[in-house]
Amino acid sequence: MPSTLERSTAFTRRPGWSLYLWRRYRLPYLLLLPVVLLLLLFLAWPLASVFYFSLRRTPLGEPSQFVGLDNFALLFREARFLGNILASLQYLVGVLGLSVPVAYLAAVLISSKVRGAGAFRTLFLLPWIIAPVVSAILFRTMVDPYTGPVARALETLTGRKYLFLVNPQLAVITIIVHSAWRSFPLEMLLIAAGLTSIPQELYDSAKVDGAGGWAQFRYVTLPLTKNQLFVAVLLITIWTLQDAEGVYSLTQGGPGYTTEVVGVRLFKEAFIYFNVGIAAAIGVVLIALSVLFMVFYLRVLGAGEGQ
Amino acid sequence: MAEQRVVRRLSRRDFMRFSSLGLVALGLGGCVMPTAVAPAASPQPSPALKKPVTIKWAHYFDPLQSPAQKFNYAWMERMVATFEEKYPEINVEPEYFDWDKIDNRSILDYEAGIKHDVMFGSPQLMAKHFQVGDYIDLTPYIKQWPEDEVKDFSWSPVWASARQDDVQIGVPTGVHTRSVAYRRDMFKEAGLDPDTPPKTWDECLEAAKALTKGDVWGLGMYFGPSRATIELYFAPFVWHFGGELWDPATKKATFASEAGVKAAQVIYDLVYTHKVTPESAIGGTYDDAILASFLAGRLAMGWGFGSYWIVSLEEKGFIKNCFPAKAECTEETAGVMVTPTAPGAQFTNAWTLSIHKLSEHPAEAFKFLEFLIAPENLYDFPDAGLPARLSLWSKAEFQSSFYQKWLEAARKGRPMPPTVHYPELADTTAACLQEILVNKAPIAETLKKFEDEWNAKYAGA
Repeated sequence: MPSTLERSTAFTRRPGWSLYLWRRYRLPYLLLLPVVLLLLLFLAWPLASVFYFSLRRTPLGEPSQFVGLDNFALLFREARFLGNILASLQYLVGVLGLSVPVAYLAAVLISSKVRGAGAFRTLFLLPWIIAPVVSAILFRTMVDPYTGPVARALETLTGRKYLFLVNPQLAVITIIVHSAWRSFPLEMLLIAAGLTSIPQELYDSAKVDGAGGWAQFRYVTLPLTKNQLFVAVLLITIWTLQDAEGVYSLTQGGPGYTTEVVGVRLFKEAFIYFNVGIAAAIGVVLIALSVLFMVFYLRVLGAGEGQ
Repeated sequence: MAEQRVVRRLSRRDFMRFSSLGLVALGLGGCVMPTAVAPAASPQPSPALKKPVTIKWAHYFDPLQSPAQKFNYAWMERMVATFEEKYPEINVEPEYFDWDKIDNRSILDYEAGIKHDVMFGSPQLMAKHFQVGDYIDLTPYIKQWPEDEVKDFSWSPVWASARQDDVQIGVPTGVHTRSVAYRRDMFKEAGLDPDTPPKTWDECLEAAKALTKGDVWGLGMYFGPSRATIELYFAPFVWHFGGELWDPATKKATFASEAGVKAAQVIYDLVYTHKVTPESAIGGTYDDAILASFLAGRLAMGWGFGSYWIVSLEEKGFIKNCFPAKAECTEETAGVMVTPTAPGAQFTNAWTLSIHKLSEHPAEAFKFLEFLIAPENLYDFPDAGLPARLSLWSKAEFQSSFYQKWLEAARKGRPMPPTVHYPELADTTAACLQEILVNKAPIAETLKKFEDEWNAKYAGA
């Protein structure tokens, strides 16, 4: 009696078996093919080319040369690049710290049955649909020391001039507020989706158990919106880490290199200085940072999943 | 029944076949990269001249950007209309880019295979353009000009900047130099004689101190994140104290020299010691910090006031009959003085016109370029600043004391260092100055730190 292995080998060697498999399963694979091709074209290829160029020196108008890890070595020897990474982390913490609580409050408001919730929903979405460069110009206009309403109002109240884009601390605050203002609508939508899926009975039961507002939030709302929060925080982290246009339009990385986050540095190296190799190396570092944050969030927010 | 099955199988197969073919075609189509092959430059108009052709003109005139730009925009529209009327077989399509990005756009688009025709360019970046090869060699066209026509332009340092290894890649449209614009009325109020403005740096500083009161700052400057910071403020002082920004022999940055330290100290003292320059000069834009502030009466003196802003002084009524230039030009509320730095310690440049390497109609593009630089067209081009044509300077319109001061300023000027890494040098020095100013960082050490950083990447290149 032939063994199972022999039987299966005999099967696979049977003439026409491959043809049979192809005829039976080709349709789903062929239907998936366009997506796979598009993913390869728009995801795998650019990703591979970033890694490829990060190992090369590519002066414009000249052939590129393989330089190994020189671009990375050059970057990590620079105080400027380490400053860029710190500025990015500071920017990220600021944006998340400001936008997440605001998004939670806004989500509670638009999910509630209060009158005008629909109007708030529309109003809160406005920052998200405005192009970053346009909103950056809007912010710049608002904080202009001579004509900006925010700067003028503060000057009237306190009697001193506020140079938002000159003072390093105020410049950092300005880019954080701008980005948080742009980010919170998406976080709000995701959290609101989670909020609406929580059954009212859970709150009723919590009330019967004597839970107050904070306890209801801590033991009902927060755990049941954790997945949405995870997605929101992850998305905003990746966007904030890679943000260049908003910050560049506001401060161009200044004063000095105070607000030169990694995305802005990458933009300058690639599109102003044409240092493609260094820009690609910065891109690789950005990818690594994003992956690190993803793993971190999975560990922290994903802990206790399934309990 | 069997017939129906056959029909169904065939149609599915056909569907898959067509889908596959479509995908392959899409893939092949997407993979064909546009090639950056330059059309052969030919002085002869192409046969396509007989048919209507469209050429693109890349400019930087945004009427909303600054008070001066609306005049440039109006000039541009007039030029296009006049040219199209004169040459109905050629259409001109303007395309806008920011003034400080137009050079990069040309380079990037050349690499990406995106076509342009006539483009404005900066002489500071001609070395980079030449290295990349995004502009065509204009020499075959220019060789057809009469000798006098060439001499009319070739006196200008900008002509020389646009000539790289005996290849002419640009033609100047004017002379951009800077002066110190000052408010004559404020001079009188402060007890200073508006007819004898400061001639030395020390006199200028003393005047600035006397003029600073209330909301009015004595001396406006700009130290923001822009090329203007190095070109109009830091470099003139470095040159004034006998230093250089970059050494052409070693191709190393040298701005942390003793002269560089003195220059940065002067700038620091203006803001924090003498308090004659507003701290807001460290941010914002050059146009706002100098032109808008001067016109709004926030500055008694505006250093780095460009010849391209003469039109704005005229519109405000600060000067009369000066734009377009007339012999009766007079300084009324405002005047200009030659920048009080040492001879040669001033930056002069101008916009050049070039033709993009990927232009499909270089002959038509050159025809348009020639049209733009005709004396009658350059005459009232606000952003020309001052005449690029030497022959215009001897005309009566340019003999007023106002224009003679500008001519003196232009003669005193010099270009920026011809490094291919000029944008990086400009950004590095601007960031360095900002670091010194906003963080009150030690001057010598900070300059050295930034200079070392630049040299680590670009020295020798």
